[in-house]
Amino acid sequence: MATIEVQRQMLPILNSPNQGARFYNPELPSSEPFVPGHRTCAGCGPSIQYRMTSKAAGDNTILVGPTGCMYVANSSYLCTPYNVPWAHTQIGSAGSFTAGVAAAYEAMIRKGKWKGQFPNIICEAGDGSASDIGLASISGALYRNHDCLIICYDNEQYANTGIQASSRTPYGGMTTFSPPGPEVPEGKKLYPKDLARMMAAGHPHCYVATASVGYPIDLMNKVRKGLNHKGAAYLMVYTPCQKGFVYETPRSIDLGRLVVECGLYPMWEWNPEKREFDYSFRPASMRPVSEYLKLQGRFGHLHAEHIANLQKFANQQWGMMGVQLPEALLHAADAKNLTNMAAASEAQAVAETV
Amino acid sequence: MPVIEQKKRMVRINGCVASAQAAKYADVDVIAAYPIRPYTATMMALAQMVANGELDAEYIVADSEHSQLSIAHGASSSGARVFTGSSGVGVQFAYELYSPISGSRMPVQMMIADRTLDPPGDFGSEHTDALSTRDMGWIMGWSCDAQEAFDNHLIAYRIGEDPRVLLPQMVCQDGFFVSHITGDVELPDMGQVKEFLPPYKHPYPLDPRHPVSHGPQIMPEQGPPLQLERARAMEGSMAVIEEVHEQFAKIFGRKYDPWLEEFMTDDAEVVFFLQGAHAVTARFAIQHMRERGLKVGMVRLRTIRPYPTERVQESLSRFKVVGVIETNMALGSVSSGGALYAEAAAALYESPKRPLMVSFMAGMGGEAIVLKEFYWMTEKMLDAQRRGKIEKRTHWVGFEE
Repeated sequence: MATIEVQRQMLPILNSPNQGARFYNPELPSSEPFVPGHRTCAGCGPSIQYRMTSKAAGDNTILVGPTGCMYVANSSYLCTPYNVPWAHTQIGSAGSFTAGVAAAYEAMIRKGKWKGQFPNIICEAGDGSASDIGLASISGALYRNHDCLIICYDNEQYANTGIQASSRTPYGGMTTFSPPGPEVPEGKKLYPKDLARMMAAGHPHCYVATASVGYPIDLMNKVRKGLNHKGAAYLMVYTPCQKGFVYETPRSIDLGRLVVECGLYPMWEWNPEKREFDYSFRPASMRPVSEYLKLQGRFGHLHAEHIANLQKFANQQWGMMGVQLPEALLHAADAKNLTNMAAASEAQAVAETV
Repeated sequence: MPVIEQKKRMVRINGCVASAQAAKYADVDVIAAYPIRPYTATMMALAQMVANGELDAEYIVADSEHSQLSIAHGASSSGARVFTGSSGVGVQFAYELYSPISGSRMPVQMMIADRTLDPPGDFGSEHTDALSTRDMGWIMGWSCDAQEAFDNHLIAYRIGEDPRVLLPQMVCQDGFFVSHITGDVELPDMGQVKEFLPPYKHPYPLDPRHPVSHGPQIMPEQGPPLQLERARAMEGSMAVIEEVHEQFAKIFGRKYDPWLEEFMTDDAEVVFFLQGAHAVTARFAIQHMRERGLKVGMVRLRTIRPYPTERVQESLSRFKVVGVIETNMALGSVSSGGALYAEAAAALYESPKRPLMVSFMAGMGGEAIVLKEFYWMTEKMLDAQRRGKIEKRTHWVGFEE
């Protein structure tokens, strides 16, 4: 059969992969596929991520938005903030709808029904969609290797419906489905599903990486690597939610760095060619988890033992990254050295114990 | 492309393969497959066509029926012609997607080979699977043999993709009775198909050159206009459906009444009202009973969505007794039987001349409805005609004297 070869885009990788909060970079394209005018909260981590991601992708892009806060708060009927085509899909359809778009363009370009370079096809799934209800659909899309990028904007909860626990909600995280009480003092008892590793392990032919809004250039480069990779890519991005995490809105980017510096959100890339993890990303400093926890109301109920549990968890994550643990972090993993976070004064004391 | 040059020819194929052939002739771009019997054979045939290079399409083995329909939705939204299908519980696993697809006005086509739901979950045909989605905004109808299945797929694409309609279509056939029984099918000349079915062109696809937003969140007061528009699209499709059937007859030489097939009804006093494959047996049974002088006929519903209310009313008002053969379950419904009774009765409500109506639960579990059961049902109808009233609303055929 005579078919037309599909031409694909190749986006340049940005220099100065700074670790600071500065968003400005002279190499950044001026186009804004995601514009103001939506109804997200002040300091919304997912929408900051949305802007960076779509800016990195450029205008020859199609966005897919499964149900979640980035659907409901962004896209009001007759007024959506997208300068590129965007479609809502069901919360469980993240991977499958995206696969349909990618397959359509493969076929239409090949059969001469659409002329142009293959568009960037990006799915913006929340962690509820990606880790729970849409997990199989995303796995299917990655497994079949459709040329698309599936992003999980990870705000560690179902935020749109009023803050409910997802499988990404951290241990100790208070949500309306994991409230603390006398019988369950820590609130959420389970540790988060290691979704990104699951995606990398199960779909080793895909580009998989973790990122955070605290590192904008790194995030945008990972978006471009994922898009340049011929086939499916998966990106897991830490995006704090001030409504659910309960913090002061100007601190979203700070949290985006602290979560990495505390070892609770390891930053890595899976290299599909070499079939190995790249753990070379190192934050500027390493800190105890309490530095991160104390800024957020959702952890305000934690007792010393719970904080120690989270520090143990973080230390394991550092270990997986091959990082030698400093004495202070081992010290911070022992509840004897910690204080409960039950009151504001005690929260301050928590910071001083480590 | 070998198929494109093919000339008209007769083949002997079953309903599943006829559906696959229709998808091939429609030159579909994206196929979303997931196995469940009995419809699977359609996807098996399409997989082989793609492997052979007879059809250039993205053939996607989905991870579930929910994903199948989501893939179909995404691909159709991007401007591709899409084919998918399912059976039984698979139809229901995808349930969430039926309203979003019709609501975004994407003319996805889905082939259904009916299968009982669980329980009993056997491979037999009960129409409950597809009928459970009947109010979701899909154009829907049943074929009764392989040729009609082939034709209905092409007809449905033409209707659904018409810019005046833009609605998804369920092209249904009975599992086994149509899907796995071979019949003579005329495969058309590709030129006929090209003349009948223009390339799919959605007015607002997801195209980076003309950015649009599909399906944004709406406020409650913005909902009613959208729902009204979808309701009007369904109503408005009726004129298009008639027009397309006429065009089909002109180009292919096979003329179907889009709404009802009437068999030996001219002087009939009692009629069966049904849809799907049991019509084939009914025709034989009616001929036998005619030889015995019984004035029995059959009215077969060919399109149930949109429901041809006026046509059903006009047709059924002419008879003394109507016996609805359900082949589906509507538990606790108005007749405590199936779904067809309630709608036919509602269509007749405004008629000044209403027949007696009775509902027959027959063909349940996918059992064949045998000739003697048709005779038995006819007796029940004639008995009601003699007495001027029905014995009861719903009979479970095979469970009564």
